[in-house]
Amino acid sequence: MIQLEKISKWYNTNGARNFVLKDIHLDIEEGAFLSIMGPSGSGKSTLLNIIGMLDTSDEGNYRFFGESVFDLKEKKRTELYKKNIGYIFQAYHLIDELTVYENIETPLLYQDVKGSERKAMVADMLDRFNMVGKKDLFPSQLSGGQQQLVGIARALIAKPKLLLADEPTGNLNSKQGEEIMELFKKINTEDKITIIQVTHSEKNAAYGDRIIDLLDGRIQQNIQ
Amino acid sequence: MLRNYLKTAFRSLLKNKFTTAINLFGLSVGMTAAVFIFIWVQNEHSFDNYHPSNQYIYRITNTINLGTNNDTWKWETSPYNLGEFALKEIPGIKNLTRCGNVNSSHNIIYKNRIIPEKNCAYVDSNWFSVFKYDFVYGDPSAFNNNNYAVAITESKAKKYFGTANPIGNILKIDTLNYTVEAVVKDNPLNSSFQFDIMMQMGSHITQPRVAKNIHSWGNFNFPTYVLLQDNANVQKVTGMLNAIMNREREKNSANTTLQPLSTMHFETDLQSTSLPHGNRKTTYIFSVLGILLLLTACINYVNLTTAKASLRSKEVGIKKIIGAGRKHLFMQFIVESFLISIVSLLLSLLFIQLLLPVFNSITEKQFVLTLFSFTMWKILLSTLIVATILNGIYPAIMLSSFKPIEVFRGKTILKLNDAFVRKSLVVFQFSLSVILIIGSIVIFKQLKHIQNSNPGYNLSQVVSMEIPYNAYRKLNDEQQEHFFAAIRHELLNSGAVEGLTMGGDQIINVGNFSSGNVDWDGHDTAFQATVSPYSADADFQKVFQLQMKEGRWFHEGKEDEHNYILNESALRMFNMHTPVIGQRFTMGGDTGKVVGIVKDFHYQSMHEKIGALVMKYNNGYDSYIFLKAAAGKIPAALQAAATTWKKFIPSEPFEYTFMDESFDRLYKEDRKISSLVFIFSIIAVVIAALGLFGLAAFTTEIRTKEIGIRKVLGAGVQSIVFLLSKDFIKLALLAFVIASPIAWYFANKWLEDFAYRIDISWWIFAITVVLAMIITIVTVSSHAIKAAISSPVNNLRSE
Ligand SMILES: Nc1ncnc2c1ncn2[C@@H]1O[C@H](COP(=O)(O)OP(=O)(O)OP(=O)(O)O)[C@@H](O)[C@H]1O
Ligand SMILES: [Mg+2]
Repeated sequence: MIQLEKISKWYNTNGARNFVLKDIHLDIEEGAFLSIMGPSGSGKSTLLNIIGMLDTSDEGNYRFFGESVFDLKEKKRTELYKKNIGYIFQAYHLIDELTVYENIETPLLYQDVKGSERKAMVADMLDRFNMVGKKDLFPSQLSGGQQQLVGIARALIAKPKLLLADEPTGNLNSKQGEEIMELFKKINTEDKITIIQVTHSEKNAAYGDRIIDLLDGRIQQNIQ
Repeated sequence: MLRNYLKTAFRSLLKNKFTTAINLFGLSVGMTAAVFIFIWVQNEHSFDNYHPSNQYIYRITNTINLGTNNDTWKWETSPYNLGEFALKEIPGIKNLTRCGNVNSSHNIIYKNRIIPEKNCAYVDSNWFSVFKYDFVYGDPSAFNNNNYAVAITESKAKKYFGTANPIGNILKIDTLNYTVEAVVKDNPLNSSFQFDIMMQMGSHITQPRVAKNIHSWGNFNFPTYVLLQDNANVQKVTGMLNAIMNREREKNSANTTLQPLSTMHFETDLQSTSLPHGNRKTTYIFSVLGILLLLTACINYVNLTTAKASLRSKEVGIKKIIGAGRKHLFMQFIVESFLISIVSLLLSLLFIQLLLPVFNSITEKQFVLTLFSFTMWKILLSTLIVATILNGIYPAIMLSSFKPIEVFRGKTILKLNDAFVRKSLVVFQFSLSVILIIGSIVIFKQLKHIQNSNPGYNLSQVVSMEIPYNAYRKLNDEQQEHFFAAIRHELLNSGAVEGLTMGGDQIINVGNFSSGNVDWDGHDTAFQATVSPYSADADFQKVFQLQMKEGRWFHEGKEDEHNYILNESALRMFNMHTPVIGQRFTMGGDTGKVVGIVKDFHYQSMHEKIGALVMKYNNGYDSYIFLKAAAGKIPAALQAAATTWKKFIPSEPFEYTFMDESFDRLYKEDRKISSLVFIFSIIAVVIAALGLFGLAAFTTEIRTKEIGIRKVLGAGVQSIVFLLSKDFIKLALLAFVIASPIAWYFANKWLEDFAYRIDISWWIFAITVVLAMIITIVTVSSHAIKAAISSPVNNLRSE
């Protein structure tokens, strides 16, 4: 599904190249659950963003379902991204002006899903996450764990094939974190959605079936 | 999707109440001004275009060659007979119609009262088949068939007959009885023909006095309109018209042309006109002003929105990540700007409704705010669209363009560029304000100058009355003398009148010119002097307190019957032998001598340079009577005048004017411009200050932390206020530097229209720059002071 080939990214500081990622080779199969670990500043988020097509590398090749991502036109890439990728953040990043229902619905609006269908899909999702009673609340009226659930629901609503999560439990207590991880596991096995998560916690990383360790922009370990 | 856009837009506007309020208020003020201007401009540009056959209607124009210096007079009138002949002889003319005594005043005698009506005219019987009128009662054929038919507008029908159908009723106009044969809808505001009372031409041309000369080819009295055949060739018709004129007129000096009806309103070169005219240039200037005011209001929105962009970048970033394309985000911001524009438009409709009476008194029209008019919708919708686009485009492009991950990395998404754009826009707003402020001051100064400069006469307590020609036209010379002597005697004996004099014209606005009509000893006959002849009696100098330079004023009696008094300008122009007093002088064949030189006085408005005035003694009667009321006795003098009038001129309503008021009326247009520029400058300043207020609030907000740190480090209130204000002060100064030369240029252009004008002095600019500084500092510093005096702990905690 995903092939990274000799991916490098750097910033120029005082004329010298400062590598954030260096010669990353990575092959991720459909249905995998990958955890990325590493110390702060090692390039985890950068790597995830490149996979998520939000960022580009300075060198290397990236194939997504066989398509060479960096060679695609912006419009085509957005299309590919919209159809296949869901994103989850540490800071939830919900839209403050929208209710729970509307937050979950928004990605469907951008994909021109018809009204009736949209309604059914959102209702389904609310049901699945046990949030029917909270659908008219605004993000500021929810706990952190609940907000992250909304974030996940929003990421899943458009039925992506790949779910990217950057420290999804970073702002949550360990119990909430565990629940989220259980949920990820379930999504991965039952819905066959590929998951790539960045995490600092060994315990959370263990939920994945594969862990890679980054250090100074290089893959240090690749545990299957 | 649209619902979602609207929802988010609505919530985001509600969330930023302060900014939204500033935007709404500024925009609606700007829109109100713009819509008013566009309503007026649209009306000016649509004059006479509502007649169905409008494109085939032309007015016959006659340009008379005066023979001297290639001077011409362009007339909107033609000889009556030209119409008769043209319709018969020229196949290209489908129909032809004339009017006469356009916008003349007539007295309606109704229920024993004399009511003067100002907008009357005689129209040919087929007037209504050339021009479009909507008939409320009656029909054109009834009007055609009766020489003494009158057609009146709906409001006049209401005035005289109430709501009942007035057809068949008799209306006595002056001395004749007319039958009301038609009631038409009130004239559209964009009609050149604002006639309320239209009498059948037949009644006019059969009056003996008129009939005597009606077929004369020398009298150009009738505006004549032709309706051409669809396929007629305008040049050919023009040629045939000239052929008729050349054939019928001995030594024809007139060149006859056709003026398209739709261009008539903006004609500027007519020698005189009795129809309302507009100035195309003025409409353009005002259109530009309207757009600028709208623009300056939109700038507030753009500036505040982009300034807040950093606060909204998170929202935009998220939306991008969950799949929003540029198109979606762009639409989102356009919808937001649309929402604010439409609410502003609704608000401005309210303002328009409230201010309509003011607008109508300025334009002297009766506009109504009707939402059922297509034109109104056109104006409102285009204002809305322009505002939406001006407001929305830049923020939409800017906000939809940044990269989401940069936002989350906390990088500032505001590029240097945006700050530069914002500053330029503020400078633009301030420049407009500065130009208008300078303009206001210059215009105000000039009007003050006119008021304060000595016109050369004293008009206080002087009342003028025009004795209607009708009152004495049937009397012979001797009788006329008696008539006037009796009036004079009666008024002087009332005890309320300190002085009385008669003159040939309003002294403040002499409209008479004569060329090549004067002669004196030593006159180079090649020099055709243009002079204004004016007749006055022996008391004229005393009543108006004119100053003599040499010689004396006229004496009562026969002594000065053929003598003249010249003004200083005439003296300079004529270059006569000295001593001038006693020199022979001839005007219009009447020879006498110069008895005095009067100091120059403004016998026309100060737009005009004082020319050569030749005063001639009048023999006891003239068309104007001027009364100077004794001190404190104005009401008594008016009472005496009214009683005398009633006794001697019972058939006409008593009308009078205070001379100082007539003097003021000479500058009515100038004062109108003055108040308009003043209003516009207030609007521009208020909008600009509002925008600055919002921006200052925002800058202060984002610098709260910096201010806190500075205060902890020991900065005083003053230095912090200065820190926050100095950027804005710099912008205001820059605007002043840019705007001053532009303002100077336009002010000068405006002043050039006055022969007697002020210099634009440096202190006008000084006042303006001080004013701009004060506005800036007051606007900006309220936020700055608040931030500066709040506790630094608060500032830092809020981070
Ligand atoms: N615009 C930039 N200019 C220079 N260096 C940058 C820029 N953006 C990111 N970096 C650097 O890239 C490196 C990797 O950043 P990244 O956010 O990927 O780290 P991370 O592994 O996700 O860390 P954390 O666990 O703290 O989130 C960091 O050392 C950071 O300083
Ligand atoms: Mg990170």
